[in-house]
Amino acid sequence: MTSYIIRRLLYCVPILFGVMLITFVLFFIVQPPRARARAILGEKATPQQIDDWLHKHEYDKPLPKLFVSQTWKLVTFNFGLSDKTNRPIAKTFIDGAVPSLCLTVPAFIAGFFMAVGASLYLVLIRYSALDRFGVFVCVALMSIPPMVYMFIGQSALALHFAYFPAYGFEIRGFSTAKFLLLPVALIVVMHFGYDVRMYRTIFLEEITQDYVRTAFSKGVSQLRVLFVHVLKNGMISLITLVVTSLPALIMGSILVENFFGIPGLGNALVHAIQTGDAAMVNALVYLGALLYLGSLLLTDILYAVADPRIRLS
Amino acid sequence: MFSEGLIRPGNLPILPRFMISVRTPFRLPSLWVLRAFLVVALAGGLGGCGNDPHPKPLHTKREDGTPWVVRYAYMPDDPRSLDPQFAYDQMSRLLLEPVYDTLLEYHRFKTDPFEVVPCQLEKMPERVKNADGTEDYVCRLKKGILFHDDKCFPDGKGREVTVRDVEYAWKRIVDPKVECPALAPLEEYVVGMEEAYEEAKKSGNFDYSKPFKGFEVVDDQTFRIHLLKAYPQILYWMAMHFTCPVAREAVEYYDGKEHPDGPGGQIVQRPAFQWHPVGTGAFMFDYYEPASRARLIRNPHYATETFPSDGIPPENVEELRPYFGHTLPIVDEAQITVFREQTPIPILFRQGYLDNMGVNKDAFNKVVTSSRDITPEYKARGVTMEKEVDVSTFFTTFNMQDKVVGPNKKLRQALSCSYDTQSFVDIFWNGVAPAAQQLMPPGFFGYDANYRNPYGFNLEKARKLLEEAGYPGGIDPATHLPLELTIDAAASGSEERQMTEFMQKQFEQLGIKVKVIENTFANLLAKEDNGNFQILYGTGWGADYPDPENFYMLFYSHNFPPKGKNAALYKNPEFDRIFEKMATMDNTPERLECVNQLRTILAEDCPQLFEFHKAFYGVSQPWAGHTKTNMMLEGGLKYARVDVAMRERLRKEWNQTPTWPIALAVIGIIFAGGYAVQLNRKRND
Amino acid sequence: MAPWLENLIVIVSLACAFGLLRLGSKNERWQRAWKFFKRDRIGIVAGIGIAIYLLVGTLDLLEISPSKSILDWVLGDAIGLRDEPTKSSYSAPFAKTTFDISNPAPLQLPGRHPMGTTQLGKDTFVQAIKGSSTALVLGGLTSLIYLPLSIFLGIAAGYFRGWVDDAVQYLYSTIASIPDILLLISMLMVMQKGLGTMSLALATTGWVGLCRLLRGETMRLNERQFVAAARSLGQSHFNIIARHLLPNVMHLVLINFVLGFSAIVLAESILSYLGVGTPIGTASWGQMIDGARGELGREPLVWWDVTAASVALFGLVLSLNLFADSLRRAFDARR
Repeated sequence: MTSYIIRRLLYCVPILFGVMLITFVLFFIVQPPRARARAILGEKATPQQIDDWLHKHEYDKPLPKLFVSQTWKLVTFNFGLSDKTNRPIAKTFIDGAVPSLCLTVPAFIAGFFMAVGASLYLVLIRYSALDRFGVFVCVALMSIPPMVYMFIGQSALALHFAYFPAYGFEIRGFSTAKFLLLPVALIVVMHFGYDVRMYRTIFLEEITQDYVRTAFSKGVSQLRVLFVHVLKNGMISLITLVVTSLPALIMGSILVENFFGIPGLGNALVHAIQTGDAAMVNALVYLGALLYLGSLLLTDILYAVADPRIRLS
Repeated sequence: MFSEGLIRPGNLPILPRFMISVRTPFRLPSLWVLRAFLVVALAGGLGGCGNDPHPKPLHTKREDGTPWVVRYAYMPDDPRSLDPQFAYDQMSRLLLEPVYDTLLEYHRFKTDPFEVVPCQLEKMPERVKNADGTEDYVCRLKKGILFHDDKCFPDGKGREVTVRDVEYAWKRIVDPKVECPALAPLEEYVVGMEEAYEEAKKSGNFDYSKPFKGFEVVDDQTFRIHLLKAYPQILYWMAMHFTCPVAREAVEYYDGKEHPDGPGGQIVQRPAFQWHPVGTGAFMFDYYEPASRARLIRNPHYATETFPSDGIPPENVEELRPYFGHTLPIVDEAQITVFREQTPIPILFRQGYLDNMGVNKDAFNKVVTSSRDITPEYKARGVTMEKEVDVSTFFTTFNMQDKVVGPNKKLRQALSCSYDTQSFVDIFWNGVAPAAQQLMPPGFFGYDANYRNPYGFNLEKARKLLEEAGYPGGIDPATHLPLELTIDAAASGSEERQMTEFMQKQFEQLGIKVKVIENTFANLLAKEDNGNFQILYGTGWGADYPDPENFYMLFYSHNFPPKGKNAALYKNPEFDRIFEKMATMDNTPERLECVNQLRTILAEDCPQLFEFHKAFYGVSQPWAGHTKTNMMLEGGLKYARVDVAMRERLRKEWNQTPTWPIALAVIGIIFAGGYAVQLNRKRND
Repeated sequence: MAPWLENLIVIVSLACAFGLLRLGSKNERWQRAWKFFKRDRIGIVAGIGIAIYLLVGTLDLLEISPSKSILDWVLGDAIGLRDEPTKSSYSAPFAKTTFDISNPAPLQLPGRHPMGTTQLGKDTFVQAIKGSSTALVLGGLTSLIYLPLSIFLGIAAGYFRGWVDDAVQYLYSTIASIPDILLLISMLMVMQKGLGTMSLALATTGWVGLCRLLRGETMRLNERQFVAAARSLGQSHFNIIARHLLPNVMHLVLINFVLGFSAIVLAESILSYLGVGTPIGTASWGQMIDGARGELGREPLVWWDVTAASVALFGLVLSLNLFADSLRRAFDARR
C-alpha cells in the first residue's frame, strides 16, 4: 500500500513541473514582462520606473534563470508579493479562500443533497412520463447560460424584492448568510440539471442489478430498496465522482464571485490574469494544480483500498 | 472545476463494477431529516435578511451623545498604492486626499477658475527671481500640525510636523526604490534632482542623511525650493500629494515584515507603508480590504484648517453659513466601497446605500429627463443633480511615423471629418459629454467655448479630402482595392467593443476597409511606447494641473515615448518653438496668443482626432448636502455633510420587503411534497 | 479572402462531414442504433432542430460578396429585415421610434424589427440568427482540432500501452491539472483575438475527456477475442486499429462530438462574458449576453438583446444535448 502511494506521489512531480512550464511560457514568453509592467504601473509611468520595477521583481533576468528561480520559490511555498497590489500572496490566498469557501461549501452540500434527493425521486418514478419530463427539464437547465441565471436572480430577488443585498460581502457572524443566500442558491440551480442527470444514471445502473431484483421479489417495498440499498451502494460511485470536484471548491465560482462582488479566489484569479499579475497567477495555478493532484491521489487511494487488484498491479 | 458551464464531454469516470458489493462504513441519515434541516437553515438565513450591504460603523454615538455620522462613498476599482510618493491613479488619490494633507490645495469652492490656496503652509510661497536665471520659492510651514496618532510613534501619539518631514518627502521623490512618477517632470526644473537620482542608482541606496541641493532648510518652519529656471507650475506640484510631508517613523515602522505585534506577542505580518498611510489630514486611515472597502475615521486633532467662508457660490451661502469656521471633517467616518462592477452602483444608490454617484448609462433614463433635468421620481425624493465636466480629453492618435497616415495630412484630415462625435456622445454618453473641438478641456486658460474645429464632422468635406489625399472613394489606386487601415484598441468590456465598432463604421463610410486589433490594456500601452500602431483608439489625457502646458506637452518633440507621452510621435519645430515660449509664461494675453497658435497648428496637422471631454451627471441624496463639485479634488471628503436622521428615515421608506413571494414558495414546496407522497403510495400498491 | 474561396472551403467541409456520416452508416452497430433511434421522437425533433441551425449557419457562411452572405440576402432583401443607421441606437421590438425617452426619433423602418435593435442600430433578430454561424464555425474548428488529436492519442495509448500510454497520460494529466478557465483566459489574452485562436484554446482544454474515454475503451476492447484473433493472424497494427478498434469506438466519438459542440457554444458565451470572446464585429450570442450586463440595469430595461441571444443559444444547446441523449440510448449495448 505505501509503495503504491509513494509511486503515485512521485508521479505528481513531473506533472507539477509540466504545469509550471506551461504557465511560465504563457506569462513570460507570450507576453513579455515589460508590457505587463507598463500596464500595472499605469499610463504615466516613466521608463525609469519600469526598469526599477522589473529589477525589483527580478523579471529582467534571462528566461531560463527566471524559470528556475520561480519554480524553486513555488516549491518552497515562498509566494512573495503580488505584482499588482504588492501584498503578500499567501495572505491574499487565505483572505480569498474564506469567502470562496463560504460560497462553495454550502452550495456544494446543499446542491449534493438536493440533487441526490431529486435523482432518487426520478428513479422512483422511472420510465414514466414524469421521469422523462424531469430529464428534459434537467437538460434544459443545463442548456441555459449561467449568466442568465445570475441576471435574473439579481434582478428579481435582490433588486425588486430587496431580500438580499445586491452586492458585496462581509463576514459578520451569522448575518454573513444574507450575502450568500442568493449566490449559493444560484450556484446550486446552475449545477442542478447536470448533477441530477448524472446521479440518476448511476442509481439506475444500481436498480438493474440482480440484488435489487432479488429484494423486490422478496417483497421489500420500493422506498426501502431505494433509500437503503440503492443509495448506499450508489453512494460509493457518487463519492468517488464528487471527490474530484473538491479542489475546485477553494477556487470558488468565478462568474458568481465576479458578479456579486464577493472577494474570493476565483475573482482574484480572473482579476490577476486580466491585469497581468504573473506572480499571483503562478501561485494560484500552482496551488490549484496541487489541490487537483491531491484529490486525484485521494481517489486513487480509495480505489486501491477497495480493490486489491489495483494496488498489486 | 466547480465552475459553471465548462463541462467537458466524456469526463464521466469509468467505475469498476465490483465496488457494488462493498459495504459502506457509514450510515446515511434519513433524507427527510436532511430536508427538514435545510428548510430550517433557509429560514434562519432569511431571518437575518435585509439588503444593507455596509458593515456597522465604528460607533453609533459620539462622546457627547450626538449621533455618529457616516458618509458612504465608492470607487470603481482598487487603488494601486497608498504611498503618496508612488500613487498616481485616481483610485489611490481618492483615499490619499482625505488622509494626507498637502502643502497647498485647491480651494473647495472656487472652480472657475481653479485657485490654489495654502493648506499646510502659512501663506502662498514667495517667488524669488535670482540674477542668474534660477528661481527660488520660500515656503513657511504652519505651526502645530500633528501627524495622526499611530503605533509607529512613541506612545502612539502623532508628533508635530517639521520642515524635515517635508524634506524627507522630497528626498523620497528622488529615491529610485520608491519609483516616484513625479521625478521625471520635476527633475528638469529642480536643482540637483537628476544628479541625486543618478548617484543613488549607482550606489544602490539613497542616502537620506545627505542634504540635496534643491531643498534648503532655512529654519524649523521655513524652507526654500531651488529651481533651475522659471516654472510657475511648481505650485501645482505642491498641491499634489507627492510633495506632502511624510513621517520617517511611519515609513520605517511599516516595513511589511513579520513582527511580534499580535496579541500575546504573536508574530504577525506588519502592513507595508504603501498600505498603511499615516498623514496629517482630516481623516485617519482605518483599514482597506482589497476588492471590498476602505474605512476612514475622523482625526480628532485636526486643526490645519476649518470650513472656508469665502468663495462660496451665492446659492449655497445660506445653507452653508452654519458651517463657516467649523472644525473639519464634518462627518465622523467615511466608508468607501470598492466596486469592480458598474451595475450595482445605481442599484445601491436607489436603495439609499450610497450618498452620491456619477450617473452611468444604466441609470441615465431613470434619473435624467429629455430636457436634461432630474426626473420627477428622483426630484420627489429630494435628490439633486449636477453636470460635471472632467478636466480630460479623449482622442484617437495617428502615428506620425507610420508610412500611410504619417506623411499624408489630407488623409488624417479626411478621417477627422468622417467622425461623428455628437452621435458617439449621444449613443454612449447620453449626449452629456461635450464633443471636443480642441485639445484642452473647459476651465483651462485659453479654452474658447466658441472655437470650432475646422476638421469636425462633415462627410462631404471628408470625401473630398480623401480624394485629395490620393484615395478617391476610399480606393487605393495602387491595388484597386479599398485602402486598409488598422486600429489598435483596448476593448475590455462589451461597451468598449461597441465603441470601437462605432469608430470602425465611421471610417468605413468613406469606403475604406478598417481592421480592428483588440489588445489587453497592457499590450496597448506597450504598443504606444514602441510606436507599434497605425491608429490608436481609446486613450486620453487627464489633467495633472489646470495649466495648458500639461496638455500641449503631449506634442512636444522632446517627449517621445517611452520617456514622454508624445504617443503620436509628432515633431514640428514651429510647434516646439512656440511651446517652449509658452510653457512657463504667466497667464497674460501674450500667452493666450501662443496657446491659440498651438491650437491652430494642431488642428491643421491633425496628429489626433479629438473625441470628447469626459462629463457626466452627478447626483446626491437629499441628506448629502451638495455643492458644485471641484474636479481637481477627489471628492473633498473633509467638507462633506450628512443629515443622519433623514437618511435613516428615507432608507426604511425605500426598502420594503414584500412577503408574498416567500409565502408562495412555501406553499409550492408543501404542494410538491404532498404530490410526491401520494405518487409513491400509488406506486407501492 | 475572396468569397469564392471561402465558399469552397465551407462546401468542402460540409461534404467531408456528410461523407464521414455515410461511412458510419455502413457500420453494423450504427445500423442497429439507427433502427432504435428512428422510434425516439425526442431525438428526431432535436435532430431537426440541429439541422435548422446548421442550415441557417451555413447560409451565413456562404458569401455573395465580401460583406454579404446568402443569409444577409434572404433576411435583408427577401424578407426585409434591415439595420437602422448607427445613431438610432436602441429601439424596442416592433417599435416605431428609437428607445430614447428624452427624444424619441422616428426609425427608418418602423415596426419592422421583431426583436428591436442593438446599441449600434443593428437589427437584433438578424444578429441572433447570424450568431449561429459563429457557433458553427467555432464548434466545427474546435472539433476539427481536438477530435483527431483525441482519437489518435487515446487509441494509441490504449492499444500500445507501455511508454506511449505513459506519455499520453502525462500529457493529459498536466493539462487537466491547470484550471480550465485559467488556461483559456491566459491563452486568449496573450494571443490575438479571433475565432481561430478561440478554437485552438478550447481544443487545448477539451481534448482530454475524449482521450481518456477512448483510452479506457480501447483497453477494454483489446482484451476481447477478435483482437487477439486478428493479431494471431498477423494483421498489422494499423489494420487492427483501423478495421477493428476504430469502428467500435466511433459511436463514443459521435456522442462526445455532439456534447462537445454544446459545451463549446456555452463556453463561448462564458468567455465573451469574461471579455476574451469573439472579436469586434462578429455576431455572437456570448457578446450579446455580455452586453446585457449593462442593459438589464437600465431603466427602463433593454431586454430584447439578451433574450434573443439566450433563446437562440438555448435552442441549439438543448437540441444538441437531447440529441446526444438519444444517441446514447440508441447505442446502448444492452438494448
